[in-house]
Amino acid sequence: MNYSMARGLARPIRFFAGMGRKYGVEWWILCVGALIIIAILAMAFFSPFIAPFDPYRQDAGPQLAAPGGPYLMGTDNLQRDVWSRIVFGSQTILRVSVLAAVISSFFGILLGLISGYAGGAVDRSLSLVMDAVYVFPGLILAIALAAMFGPGVLNITFAVAVIYIPTYFRLVRGQTLAIKQELYVEAARAIGAGSFTILGKYIFPNVIATTVVVFTLNVADAIMIEAALTYLGLGLPPSIVDWGMDLAMGKKYLPSGVWWLVTFPGMMISLLALGFTMLGEGLAEILNPRLLER
Amino acid sequence: MRNLVRYIISRTLMTIPMVLILLTIIFVVLRLMPGDPVSAMLGGHAPEKVIEQKREQLGLNRPMYIQYADYIWKVCHLDLGESMVLQQEVTEAISDKLPATIELTTFGMLITLVLGIFLGAYAADKRRTMRDSAIRLYGIVVYCIPVYWLGLMLQLVFGIWLDWFPIAGRTGARIFPSDFENTGFYLIDTLLMRDWTAFGDVLLHLVLPAFTLGLTLSGIFVRLTRANMLDVLKADYILAAESRGIGHGTIVYRHALKNAFIPILTMMGLQVALLMAGAILTETTFSWPGMGRLLLERIYLRDYPTIQGVIIVFALMVAFISLLVDIIYAIVDPRIRY
Amino acid sequence: MRVRNIIVFSLVALCLAFIPTVGSAAKGDTIVYGTTEKVSDMDTAKAYDFHTWEIFYNVYQGLLRYPAGKTNIVPGLAESYAISKDGKEYTFKLRKGLKFTDGTAFDAGVVKWSIDRVMELKGDPAWLVTDFVDKVEVVDPLHVKFILKNPVSYFPSLVASVPYYPLNPNIYPKDKLVRDPSELKGGNMVGLGPYKVVSFKRDEEVVLEANPMFYGEKPKNKRIVIRYFADATTMRLALEKGEIDFAFKSLNPADIKDLQKSTKVQTIMAQGPYIRYLCFRCAGKPFDDKVLRQAVAAAISRKPMLDKVYLGQNAPLYSMVPMGMWSHEDSFKTYPGDGNIALAKKLLKSKGYDEKNKLTFELWYTPSHYGDSEVDMAAVLKQQFDATGVMNVEVKSAEWATYRDNWTNKVMPVFLLGWYPDYIDPDNYTAAFAGTEGSRGMGIFFSDPKWDTMFNDAQKETDMKKRTAMYKKIQKMWTDEVPTAPIYQGTLYVFAQKDVKGILLSPTLQFNYGPIYRGAK
Repeated sequence: MNYSMARGLARPIRFFAGMGRKYGVEWWILCVGALIIIAILAMAFFSPFIAPFDPYRQDAGPQLAAPGGPYLMGTDNLQRDVWSRIVFGSQTILRVSVLAAVISSFFGILLGLISGYAGGAVDRSLSLVMDAVYVFPGLILAIALAAMFGPGVLNITFAVAVIYIPTYFRLVRGQTLAIKQELYVEAARAIGAGSFTILGKYIFPNVIATTVVVFTLNVADAIMIEAALTYLGLGLPPSIVDWGMDLAMGKKYLPSGVWWLVTFPGMMISLLALGFTMLGEGLAEILNPRLLER
Repeated sequence: MRNLVRYIISRTLMTIPMVLILLTIIFVVLRLMPGDPVSAMLGGHAPEKVIEQKREQLGLNRPMYIQYADYIWKVCHLDLGESMVLQQEVTEAISDKLPATIELTTFGMLITLVLGIFLGAYAADKRRTMRDSAIRLYGIVVYCIPVYWLGLMLQLVFGIWLDWFPIAGRTGARIFPSDFENTGFYLIDTLLMRDWTAFGDVLLHLVLPAFTLGLTLSGIFVRLTRANMLDVLKADYILAAESRGIGHGTIVYRHALKNAFIPILTMMGLQVALLMAGAILTETTFSWPGMGRLLLERIYLRDYPTIQGVIIVFALMVAFISLLVDIIYAIVDPRIRY
Repeated sequence: MRVRNIIVFSLVALCLAFIPTVGSAAKGDTIVYGTTEKVSDMDTAKAYDFHTWEIFYNVYQGLLRYPAGKTNIVPGLAESYAISKDGKEYTFKLRKGLKFTDGTAFDAGVVKWSIDRVMELKGDPAWLVTDFVDKVEVVDPLHVKFILKNPVSYFPSLVASVPYYPLNPNIYPKDKLVRDPSELKGGNMVGLGPYKVVSFKRDEEVVLEANPMFYGEKPKNKRIVIRYFADATTMRLALEKGEIDFAFKSLNPADIKDLQKSTKVQTIMAQGPYIRYLCFRCAGKPFDDKVLRQAVAAAISRKPMLDKVYLGQNAPLYSMVPMGMWSHEDSFKTYPGDGNIALAKKLLKSKGYDEKNKLTFELWYTPSHYGDSEVDMAAVLKQQFDATGVMNVEVKSAEWATYRDNWTNKVMPVFLLGWYPDYIDPDNYTAAFAGTEGSRGMGIFFSDPKWDTMFNDAQKETDMKKRTAMYKKIQKMWTDEVPTAPIYQGTLYVFAQKDVKGILLSPTLQFNYGPIYRGAK
């Protein structure tokens, strides 16, 4: 290693160590979370290079072969390679969960801003609906919505997205109400700033910081709901590789001692959810230590 | 006391719009779903004439708003109607399955509370040590494990490899619930009948599903308890107690925990939704004949009245528990005035 | 103190829990039968599924019946019957001196009452009566006459089916469908068959005991307990632990494979009446062209598919008329063949499809109605079609409720279906799919007046030899038009403890409990 490279590395190392000293465990939780996410993202982006087989190929190996040899995680009853399916399956779950979180945050933030800023009847009726959905088990609504939309990646994304809108709505509405009373907003209004200017310039930037944390945690929840829906047999066509569906299909081989069809997809779902949760927790503690203890 | 009664009444009334909103959402969603109960129930060959006749019989060809008004009117009279696919009252289907779900969730919650609160308090006591970090990590990891996967793994290890516990159903093949069934809560029923064999069998069947549900939810409670305990342990009266020479264990696990309990209790109310979602998935994994399985089965059959009935029950359960928590809160903490 | 109580209590409870659970049902004369099926309605006018019918076979009896494990029809509650010259009137001579448990005498009036009831209540299986029977007349107390709308040569197999069973008019309500036995007068389901229902607990257990009023041979066991399992895995484990004496319908392929290898239990197998097949929507592009249908059928490779999806279970099927039924011929084996990619390519080429211009179509399946192996089946079929290099398949799925609407709305060009017969006759395996009316009802939309005439003639023909020849010809024609392509025939599996004897399966699915007994290991 030459001198310039060492100097180049020294700064990031100092940065990481410094952050570790400043925030303690939280910083390392954040880093581990980010690392898991990056690894699985890499898996999704470079699937064809990582997977040894085509995930749909039905003669990749012998039937129900145990993990080992060329089959890192064994094969299923259709003689497909489980590891290759895990690699390609990461695309589906990431796409659905991140997109769902984006959609629900968009609508949640928008409605929250409107509701909190406008007040009155709009606010009351919106809050009533959102609260009802919020306290109700989201999975049940997602099941009904997934059955309504029918199978498909976008359909399931919408089903998951709808149930998390209230989470953002409540958060943003509360903050909007608080910020609306602040002196500088009053001042802006006094000098004749329009509603859009106030919402866009003063309220939105304040709100966005806290939603970042909620967004990360929300992706973790969306991952689990997506997998739950496909596990229950709602949601995706078979031409798409998905962890939850593979897990459900492997379930009936469990009593015969075929443990690998269930173990690996479940492990990956947990790991991915863990990645986002750790990132979210770490961010929360560092950005706003009181957020999670409410 | 008068205030409390008034509060309870107003809170109870507030659940009505909530149930109504959810019911409306689900009503619309169900009608927008492709397929209807008639096509779901028919096999290969049914002449179109018969199909039309059945739709008319069930009132499915009326305009949606009339069906809706009709249904809401009935619900207001506490009539949940009759299933559209089976000759069965909706209330009968629900009262058949509800005890199974309540039994499962109660024991799941019990395990969660014991595990979560003990571990959380212990972690707070040993804060900033390796043990604390390990427990916190446990809390995060356990929260991220899908409940059905945990269930399957427990089945694999304790049911199939070790063969300690049964992996599905509420009773074994030679225990017949009709011998003792009374309330539908099998543990209570077998106790009432003093049928110890059956009681043991029922308990044994409850172990894996309850642990599955309990373990996954314990993560949140570890975190909550730890956070609240940390606050309490910093309080003056704890320091005072310490200086008076009261045993450390007594302070942490009796005084501090008692004070941290109220916030934990409120959080419990908010976790009900999670508990029920977990119950639905646990029921599917363990073939537990409860509300979750009923709901899924009937969604496939497009049995509108039964699905709507199940939704009402879930909504009422959520409302009831949060109400209960609020009441306990009000009684325990006399500072709260409404 | 309180804590200690709780600990003591839980310890006691735990100890109790580990006491080996000795069943409340004693061994010996009781046979415990496990199944994952469900009972529907305890009414011959409403029930329309094989498990419920199976209970009826054992509790009631028809004028004609199938002996245990056989496919030939023998006299039941009727001693004999006569057919009029035009084939439209069947007169049955009833057994003398039969009585229901409550003393009600069995006579022609009872038969007429029961059939009329089915016709009036219009339950799901009522068409099995109303499509054929015009009216029932009482000739005298011992003779009853069925007047048919048209001559139907397989009428005896209809009479042996459940909707034709005589019921006790003093127990069943005339104008109401019954769901649970508790709705019957007296609260017990009892008829003229070998058993009576003594306990009925939906989805849990049904207990049958020998019916003292039964005229025929007494059952070899005292009591049959049918235990309902919510899932196959639990049933398998219960069988392995000896908690049930035998298991019938339906275990997972992996479980069947393991149990077949097990030394602890015995396997009883038989060809079932259940068939699976691929349907084409014969109206509209592209499958109104029979050459394309032939090409797709040629590409199906049955044995490898069964190996993958069902671990080698079930049997490849090469005709819509199942194996074991008279007139069956492996017609699809000769043409268009099995896994015949060369032929598929050739046929498609003649229609202008090749590697560059592939035949693109949607293959539909329904994910839970036929069990959860359906996804696998669709995946394997897709792979087989794609492997020809000249087809491009998109797999789609819909829940049963939608699936049914889809075929009415002509949404699905190629789709998977399964069939349990309503009555045991080749007619029910052919006309139901390719007759104009039946075909439309199934989303196949195949229609050919010539075929309709053939089905009609075959239905009327009473000479067995001529009928056989007719159905052989229909099976041959099937390979040319290919309105549907047969895939496999379900195999019935019973797994029983070694000491259980007398389980007789039959392709009619008429499973009689009477011959079952406990012998030596």
